[in-house]
Amino acid sequence: MDRHVLQGIPVSTGVALGRAYFLNRGRGRNIPRQNIPDNDVQSELVRVEQAFSQALAELETIQSRVPAELLEHARIIESHIMMLQDPKLLESAKAYIRDMQLNAEWALEKAVADIEAVFRSIEDVYIRERIQDVRLVAGRVQQYLLGESGNSLRSINTRIILLAHDLSPADTIELEVGKIMAFATVTGGKTSHTGILARAMQIPAIVGVADLEETIQDGQLIIIDGLQGRIIIEPDEDELASFTDLKYQFEEYQAGIIRSSHLPAETIDGYRVKVFANIELLEEVSSVLGNGGEGVGLYRTEYSYLNRVKLPEEEQLLEEYQDLASIMYPSKVVLRTLDVGSDKFMNHFGGLDEANPALGMRAVRFCLHHLDLFRIQLRAILRASVHENISLMFPMVSGLGELRQVKSVLHSVQMELKQQGLPYNPEMPVGIMIELPSAMITADILATEVDFFSIGTNDLIQYSLGIDRTNSFVSYLYQPLHPALVRMIKYVVDAGHRAGIEVSICGEMAADPYCIPVLMGMHVDCLSMNPQAVPVIKHIIRQATMEECKSLLRDVLASKTVGRNNKLVKDSIFRRHPKELMFYSSMLDEGY
Amino acid sequence: MDALDVVSRKVFVANELGLHARPAARLAREAQKYSARITLLSQEQEVDAKSILDLLTLALGPGCAVELKAQGQDAQLALERLEQLFLNRFEEER
Repeated sequence: MDRHVLQGIPVSTGVALGRAYFLNRGRGRNIPRQNIPDNDVQSELVRVEQAFSQALAELETIQSRVPAELLEHARIIESHIMMLQDPKLLESAKAYIRDMQLNAEWALEKAVADIEAVFRSIEDVYIRERIQDVRLVAGRVQQYLLGESGNSLRSINTRIILLAHDLSPADTIELEVGKIMAFATVTGGKTSHTGILARAMQIPAIVGVADLEETIQDGQLIIIDGLQGRIIIEPDEDELASFTDLKYQFEEYQAGIIRSSHLPAETIDGYRVKVFANIELLEEVSSVLGNGGEGVGLYRTEYSYLNRVKLPEEEQLLEEYQDLASIMYPSKVVLRTLDVGSDKFMNHFGGLDEANPALGMRAVRFCLHHLDLFRIQLRAILRASVHENISLMFPMVSGLGELRQVKSVLHSVQMELKQQGLPYNPEMPVGIMIELPSAMITADILATEVDFFSIGTNDLIQYSLGIDRTNSFVSYLYQPLHPALVRMIKYVVDAGHRAGIEVSICGEMAADPYCIPVLMGMHVDCLSMNPQAVPVIKHIIRQATMEECKSLLRDVLASKTVGRNNKLVKDSIFRRHPKELMFYSSMLDEGY
Repeated sequence: MDALDVVSRKVFVANELGLHARPAARLAREAQKYSARITLLSQEQEVDAKSILDLLTLALGPGCAVELKAQGQDAQLALERLEQLFLNRFEEER
């Protein structure tokens, strides 16, 4: 490949042009080591104290500016602040200055080395690794001592493109979000932390760039092409012009789709589909509405159960569900009952030793095993259902027997509420997630006893193809358009429609622009996705015609391989949505 | 109670990753609110509960038992608050 172009995996779309800045490179650079004369001791002591307080002030500023979506990681900063304030580090550095007459930089280095020596003997790997935090903190002080604050992220006036071997949550916390135009890292794959962060920040990012550190120098002008996963180093005039143009086009495009995101998702030939959002926090409702989401197709109810010393009480859940329903009213809200494994509840129920939790005690199986917990949630949902926009959905139902079991629990909770004179909506729609192959194949049977289906493609793909997508050895087999999946999804949609119920798709497939025409061709009633994906998906639908989607689906159903399907889909995107082909990557890799 | 009395209590680390950076920060921050001298004792090693670095070097893994000791005017109150932190896993998810 061309020497000045590097290829990686695009994980967040967009184009950025700017100066390269390596994070952490140069930490541990040469530190001046000298013995100082007696009369310099006092000034060195002052210097080290000042550097500590400058570093502290800097961290406190960063802490106060951490954006809301990164708050969880921001707590790392708190530990860094505590380390800076810890007398152990500062006092030990000062002792080296006072007693051994070392200059401040050397003294600090020695103080850190002492702490490192203690950490090295720690057996617990995770705690031993915290020495990284100590180094990071000391490195920050060291920069002030060396008068190199001009090199730190804080004092850069222009915005930069951040390059790193890897970005850990601890690293990303240090970043001043407003100054970073793009990321690129050596490590990482499609599901890495960097991608999640970049998408939340809405800046382009590329991971898995092998020669990043060897090829790019600090300060070099580079282009990050988050559409294709390319980095162009020191672009020539032609490249500059064409990428500036591309960047402009992308930004125009993005502004356009956001402007039109409140319009209904209706094809050119008048076929209407609902576009909903998946969320797990009440706060995300603003993002749903802001991006043009027409409802909440999946409200994950796990959050109130995790992160707690005590299990939530009925009233607390009721309040949460009521708030959600009333903010979204009259738009629909689908509450999914608890979908976790027993591993998340060890301290409440004791651990189960499960060899394979993904195939174990989770979701409705877990709930049926812990009926008290299940009934409390059902009571809260039912009581909230007086807001008539609420629907209930059971995850991971494996067949009719299990469906009847959960429905009988629901029925008995309804009777209980009735006896207690507590109101609920007896007409609340009750649906199930279709995410197990067994539920797929028996969809025609299940459809007669529920009010709607929601196909959870993430789990369905994994369970059907027998692969764990986070396992890098087999993740290449994660192929949403595998003929088996296309047939199964089509079968479920048809079975649902024959029984007169709605079928929606709520998985990443629904957020992948490339998969939309195929799903549309099946006549799905609703697509539910992360709120950020709503504008582009609505845009795609508004540019499409049902006739073309159907004809694409016919071709896809007639094909025998994933590879052919992916090609068919890409060709159709090329014809109908050339911009999306340019601006978005897809889960659809070249398959077999 | 005499301010010179040492009060102590046995606690356990319930966090899945042990007393790592964030819980240690929480603990040190809380301990600093009291004038009492507060220490943690584990396997004959006694460290200052107000120092995050000391706490980390104690390397308390998941499930470790540790003795909380406090001495001073507000020792009793400090002990109760710190014990509470251990019990609720320092407000960590795991």
